[in-house]
Amino acid sequence: MRKWFFLFIIVVLGLLEVAVLDYFKIFGVKPDLFLIVVVILSLFFELKGVIFFVIFAGVLKDAFSINTFGINTLLLPLWSFLIMKLSKRISIDNNFILMAVIFIITASHNIITGLILVFSGGFFIPLGISLRIAFLESLYTAIIAPLVFKIFRTFPRWLPQGAWNWE
Amino acid sequence: MLKFKKKSLIYLAVSIFLLTLLSSLNPALRTTILSTFKYPLSLLTLIRREIGGIIFYHRNLMQNEGLKREVDLLRNKINTLDEIYLENRRLNDILSLKQKTPYKVIAARVIGRSPDNWSSVVIIDKGRYNGIKQEMAAMTYLGFLGRVIETTESTSKIMLINDPNLGVSCIVVGSRQEGLVSGTLGNSLIMKYLPKGADIKISDVIITSGLTDAYPKGLLIGEVIEVGEELSGLTRYAIIKPAVNLSSIEEVLIIIP
Repeated sequence: MRKWFFLFIIVVLGLLEVAVLDYFKIFGVKPDLFLIVVVILSLFFELKGVIFFVIFAGVLKDAFSINTFGINTLLLPLWSFLIMKLSKRISIDNNFILMAVIFIITASHNIITGLILVFSGGFFIPLGISLRIAFLESLYTAIIAPLVFKIFRTFPRWLPQGAWNWE
Repeated sequence: MLKFKKKSLIYLAVSIFLLTLLSSLNPALRTTILSTFKYPLSLLTLIRREIGGIIFYHRNLMQNEGLKREVDLLRNKINTLDEIYLENRRLNDILSLKQKTPYKVIAARVIGRSPDNWSSVVIIDKGRYNGIKQEMAAMTYLGFLGRVIETTESTSKIMLINDPNLGVSCIVVGSRQEGLVSGTLGNSLIMKYLPKGADIKISDVIITSGLTDAYPKGLLIGEVIEVGEELSGLTRYAIIKPAVNLSSIEEVLIIIP
């Protein structure tokens, strides 16, 4: 049941990002909910338990975008893997550390995506616009991440006893 | 410091293989997913529109009254223009000029947008079943909108005019100065590589030139709001405010050539 629940959450967030989030754009950028969900899943669960959902989130994002298919499908599991490694060495309970991690991951994700777009020859974005997107999106995503985390942390109260535990 | 084990190398190799495989499966996967999510997206858009109607009731009421007055004024203008049109036809008949037929359009609703910030793309609820093909031009009642870049059986993706990867050949109404308009992923467009002596000024109207077969001639792009000189000093640029409010598009018209 919990697996269907996470699948449902990813689908709903994906639909929100595609259909609704445009109304919350600031300076032409909107936050990356897919990335926040991946970070949440990576912090709470083991890799083998969430890899399917992380890949599913990547495939969903790739399907709705016009970039090279597979960029998000491969990058999101990579960030998930790195987050898991990092969470074993430092504590990400503090909101500021969480925001910093999300900022760095989002910025890296955008830089890699931008470079792939340029070198794949498909699309070209001027440098000024690229830097604006990379920086502002990272900042916006990092700012709303604690809010999304807080909502997820209250989930155990909404679910039946034991449903939040993966095993 | 992270240790890179054999497992990590295997992961990298598998990733590259998967990327290649996924790229080849691209059309099939994208088609399936877009077709699956068409109705949930349409439902969500409908709910959002209804909630917006309730929240912005007063604003919509004021807007409605203003638009009614504008419609009455335009109706009068249309009547006048009808007379001029009939007279023009009569004169053309006399001169035996070939009549140009207006283009056909397919109306579609916007059900979603690109999830990333690297492109300006909207998803509509019509596709190949409805006669839409790639490279067709898209517009709204206010002006030019963009171009169809991807189609599935029941959905299509349109790249908007404020995407930097879409360049549209345009002219300035009046001076007939030609230029290429592209986007900035924001609320404005830019017309670049104008010669130093280009005849263009603020509040000039920009329309499609029709020099290529890609877009019909005469579609309204927008109005010039700023003219400046490039850093090199050799060329000029113009910032254009689009005629269409690209952040609140609800319906589009796909032009059938």
